[in-house]
Amino acid sequence: MRIKTMVAVTVALLACMFIGLPAGEAQTRTKIRYALGDVITTDDLQLLIAVERAKTRGVDVEVTAFKSEELATQAVINGQVDVGQGTPYAAIQKVSIPIRFFYQLYALQFFPIVNKEFYKSWKDLDGQEIAVHARGSGTEAIMNLVAKEQGIKYKSISYVPGSEVRALGLLRGTIKATILDVTNKNHVMKEAPDKFLILPLGQVKASDEALFATKDFLEKNHAAVTILVEELLKVSREINANPKFVAEERKRLGLLKDLPAKLEEDITPYFQEAVRNGIIPNDGGAERAAKDDLEFFRLSGHLKGENLKVEDFWHLPPLKAGLAKLGN
Amino acid sequence: MSNTQRPAERRLLWLLLSFAFAFGVWEVAGRWPISVAFPTFSQTLLAMVRMVADGSLPRAYLSTAQPLIIGFIICGVIGVGFGIWMGLSRAVEWFSLPIFVILQAAPMAAVIPLVTYIYGIGLTSKVLAVVALAAPVIVMNSYKGIRNTNPSLIQMCRAFLGTRTQVVVKIILPHAAAMIFTGLRLGLAMGFIGVVIAELLITPTGIGDLITYHSSVADFAEMFAAVVSIILIAAVTIHALERLERRLFPPEVRGS
Repeated sequence: MRIKTMVAVTVALLACMFIGLPAGEAQTRTKIRYALGDVITTDDLQLLIAVERAKTRGVDVEVTAFKSEELATQAVINGQVDVGQGTPYAAIQKVSIPIRFFYQLYALQFFPIVNKEFYKSWKDLDGQEIAVHARGSGTEAIMNLVAKEQGIKYKSISYVPGSEVRALGLLRGTIKATILDVTNKNHVMKEAPDKFLILPLGQVKASDEALFATKDFLEKNHAAVTILVEELLKVSREINANPKFVAEERKRLGLLKDLPAKLEEDITPYFQEAVRNGIIPNDGGAERAAKDDLEFFRLSGHLKGENLKVEDFWHLPPLKAGLAKLGN
Repeated sequence: MSNTQRPAERRLLWLLLSFAFAFGVWEVAGRWPISVAFPTFSQTLLAMVRMVADGSLPRAYLSTAQPLIIGFIICGVIGVGFGIWMGLSRAVEWFSLPIFVILQAAPMAAVIPLVTYIYGIGLTSKVLAVVALAAPVIVMNSYKGIRNTNPSLIQMCRAFLGTRTQVVVKIILPHAAAMIFTGLRLGLAMGFIGVVIAELLITPTGIGDLITYHSSVADFAEMFAAVVSIILIAAVTIHALERLERRLFPPEVRGS
């Protein structure tokens, strides 16, 4: 009898383990709806790898690509997604519900580029026309800040959305001075190496892509957000230690399977340059990034008012928890 | 107060009441709020006043008006001319009717960004966007106006030994004028849609720039004010043209 009872209990326990455990785990899984402000490209591999890893720890991050950063921000404001990516500081300062940044994915990496035939230095751009991404964009902010530093004034700023469109404009000769991201800067310099000149950019430190969510969401989902932050920190550190890691990990995880071979080749050079320029922080930006951002966006006119406080724009507990676990 | 004035006054009263009701609902929806990004009517109105006062709204319209006017003139001259030609010539009709039917059905918001591959991001692309939306309706209305001419009137003209030119000038064109004008009115409405799509999808200038910029910096009242202003201007312009049309071509003329 005793043996029979023991067998029955063991079977019952095993049944519980097989049936009950997955059910229990399913209950603890958390879903984070994540909004990208652009189509998913190789630049987003850092995020995609972290998303895959977070999945194994019970956090399902559902990434949706929106047409623009504004739409992604709107979706966060209206509660249709949980986390957004970008730098909508102006929006955050104005909307009535508290939205906070909690992780800096990477810092700004842009290259002011001019047609050599017409301009040789920043001073030559005094009274000339330049092209940037959009009114109120980071590219406009950078160009305006440098103009302030250099004591020059542009004749006019035209808005040409998309680095690839501006790169094409440069190559066709319709644009003579603009600002490009690294991929398009490399493309332009490869297509016409002797035609263009990259102007030196002083110390412009600010976020290009940072993660944000409502304060309410961050507080209620502290554990899940911390897991995502930890995975992002680990991936960033691995990239900074070995930029080739991204291409290898992409293959291993089967990410962006339909990527054309030409773009596949660009993955490692892109991350090598990013590591060289130090735009991927090992510590998620934290207070230092927050302070740099507040300074940059205040000088560029996006943020209004003096004495801007970090806690009004950033929510640091998940990042602090992640850093405490992984070390600074 | 005469009896004839009363219905007009009553109509005006109902009109004002309907506006007051719509704006009231808007105000309540904004105060509720249905979304943090949805401003109240009063905030939007104040934003519009501010934008007029600081000159940003008038400046934007100066910029938006350029592609709209150029595009509309092109459609008015070439579009109407082509529509008449289509109506008068079976060969031209056979050749071009399917193109305009397809253009009328094509989702232009998807097609307009493609224009930039050929014509870049400047004024030309925006003018083309206006033409692409306005031309089909203008051409088709002109064509149908010509085609729908009462055959007995043409026969009568021929019976009086009228030449082909006389048939066209004295019978067909006057008969088609009302429909051509309707085409122009509808074409202008499409032109407004075209210019805003172009300014939102190609490069942000004029009113498209105001909408994009204010949305990006979360000035929702200003963004709504820009949207409402273009709707208002389009509606008032189209309504004015409709009234002019009714005066120029009263029902008794249309029906002839």
